[in-house]
Amino acid sequence: MSSVVFDHVSKVFDGTVAVDGLDLTIHDQEFMVLLGPSGCGKTTALRMIAGLETVTSGTLSIGDRVVNDIPASDRDIAMVFQSYALYPHMTVRKNIESPLVAHRGRRVDAAERERRVREAADILGLGDYLERKPGALSGGQRQRVALARAIVRRPEVFLMDEPLSNLDAKLRTQTRTEIVELHRRLGSTFVYVTHDQVEAMTMATRVAVIANGRLQQTGTPDEVYRRPANLFVATFIGSPPMNVIRGVARDNGAGLELAAAAGTLTWSTPVSAVGIGSELVAAIRPEHLHVDPAGTLDFTVRAIEQLGHERHLLGRSGDADVVVRQSSADAPIAIGESLRLRPDPAEVHLFDPATEARVD
Amino acid sequence: MATRPSPGRASGRRARDSLLAASFLAPAFAVFAVFAYYPLYRLVYLSLYRPNRNTFIGGSDEWIGGSNIIDSLTSSTFLRSLAVTAKFAVLTVPMGIILGVLLAVAADRKLRGIRIFQTIFSSTVASSVAVASVVFFTLLQPEAGLWRNVSWLSIKQPGSALVAISTTAVWQNAGLTFVIVLAALQALPSEVREAAELDGYGPVRRFFRITVPLISPALLFLAVVLVIHALQAYAQFEILKPTNDAQPLLYKIADPEGVETISSRAVYSLGLFVVSLIVSIAQFGLLERRVHYGE
Repeated sequence: MSSVVFDHVSKVFDGTVAVDGLDLTIHDQEFMVLLGPSGCGKTTALRMIAGLETVTSGTLSIGDRVVNDIPASDRDIAMVFQSYALYPHMTVRKNIESPLVAHRGRRVDAAERERRVREAADILGLGDYLERKPGALSGGQRQRVALARAIVRRPEVFLMDEPLSNLDAKLRTQTRTEIVELHRRLGSTFVYVTHDQVEAMTMATRVAVIANGRLQQTGTPDEVYRRPANLFVATFIGSPPMNVIRGVARDNGAGLELAAAAGTLTWSTPVSAVGIGSELVAAIRPEHLHVDPAGTLDFTVRAIEQLGHERHLLGRSGDADVVVRQSSADAPIAIGESLRLRPDPAEVHLFDPATEARVD
Repeated sequence: MATRPSPGRASGRRARDSLLAASFLAPAFAVFAVFAYYPLYRLVYLSLYRPNRNTFIGGSDEWIGGSNIIDSLTSSTFLRSLAVTAKFAVLTVPMGIILGVLLAVAADRKLRGIRIFQTIFSSTVASSVAVASVVFFTLLQPEAGLWRNVSWLSIKQPGSALVAISTTAVWQNAGLTFVIVLAALQALPSEVREAAELDGYGPVRRFFRITVPLISPALLFLAVVLVIHALQAYAQFEILKPTNDAQPLLYKIADPEGVETISSRAVYSLGLFVVSLIVSIAQFGLLERRVHYGE
């Protein structure tokens, strides 16, 4: 059993609330990604699991043990830091075996130690570098040493704090796959902190989106992408982000529609809590706005981003900045052109402007 | 393509650059020439020639050469005072570094008001050797000093005088060590410390296995600088006037009441220079292997 449970956990630094009443259950063997913008409290949450930060209030458990007062070294966890945090004066071998040497309760005999270091080095392809110092390794290799140092402990829970953010783009993609592979192979619980939604979408079995110290939504990557629980999640997940159009609900004869500055929007999902005159926020992904002369929204193109396989039209719709995603094969469009957009009614998400919560 | 400058123009530019470089170097060179190179030359000269003071008759300085050097370097004055210097270094450097490191470790934490302690601990750096010696005089003075009854700190007893004077230097060395080591500790990445904590190193082993290797460049620097300070110690001895057996080499070289000739003093100075050089090179050679300079 190696679940991690936050039961109404808060962390306050000198009067600043970093984590605010977090309720989150990370299941055994899950790859949980804590996702949020920088300063949202996700790293603080991770460091509380590690024991590097104390819990101000609430209960934090690992497995069936409450760990609020258990020192970091006695928790059955291993952590990989953003900066790798290797010991620069020790060889790769000494770095990897460090957790087996440092802690009395984890000490094993020399043969077992050698076996485990070998095993970890083999998994991560470090066999040829064991006698080198970290200074002689590349960033990617250092990251592997940090992972190997975590593996030799055989912890119940792996904690990773933005482990890929110091790597270049190509290496990041490669290491991403390797960490997912590692998770499958070890069958341990992984808790992974990142601000990069691509990492979250590609690696997680479940994502917890955090903002301003509060949990916004948990779910599979698909769930948070397809059904964001509030306006923050809607605009945080996805690149380019969802377009936000504000307006007022009114009756158009056939049903309700949203009257916005640039035109009107309709939705096909039944929404009970909305009546005539309700103020609403509609959010819609750039790929669900189609250029169509019969469309219901005005749109003026201000810039065009060509990405090869697709292009983004950046412009204004009434008082809102709007992005439209198109295939590169679509008819060419000029900057400054005024167009009509047709929103896909099945893909419109509605939120309450005051609470920012989803209304359907 | 741009036109390539002719060889003549290039060499002209080089000459101009050299002239510019020389003019930048000149002030530093002038200072070194006046305060280092010329005195060194005079020392060598005075070791080899006895100056002829009879300016009326004239005549050149007398060559005394090798015999003066050998006699001076084998004299009991030189050997004994060099031994005092060595003992002074042994008494002041390790103790100063250990105390300074302990204070730095104690002050390297985020506590309300810690800055006050950091200021106090580093204040010895701001006081000159002379000021420190006067302060310690109020403690060590044989009749009225606070420590007048502490027999092993008596400056008028052979055997304890050197220990008494060493307290001044230990106090100052601890301050310098504190400043340098605190800066080194605060420059350490906190994630490495945290990784060591998670790995399970207790505070003591974390200090010796992780922290000390990481601050070793600072410790090497301190060892070299403090040993040189010890070899050059003078003001403490001039102000506190210890017994004869506690007078180091530099004191013998400069002592206005001493009986040594200018020729012997010149040789002593050269001897001290050579000893300092050898000790520094040896320290770098021995300690360098254990020092880790990061990536």
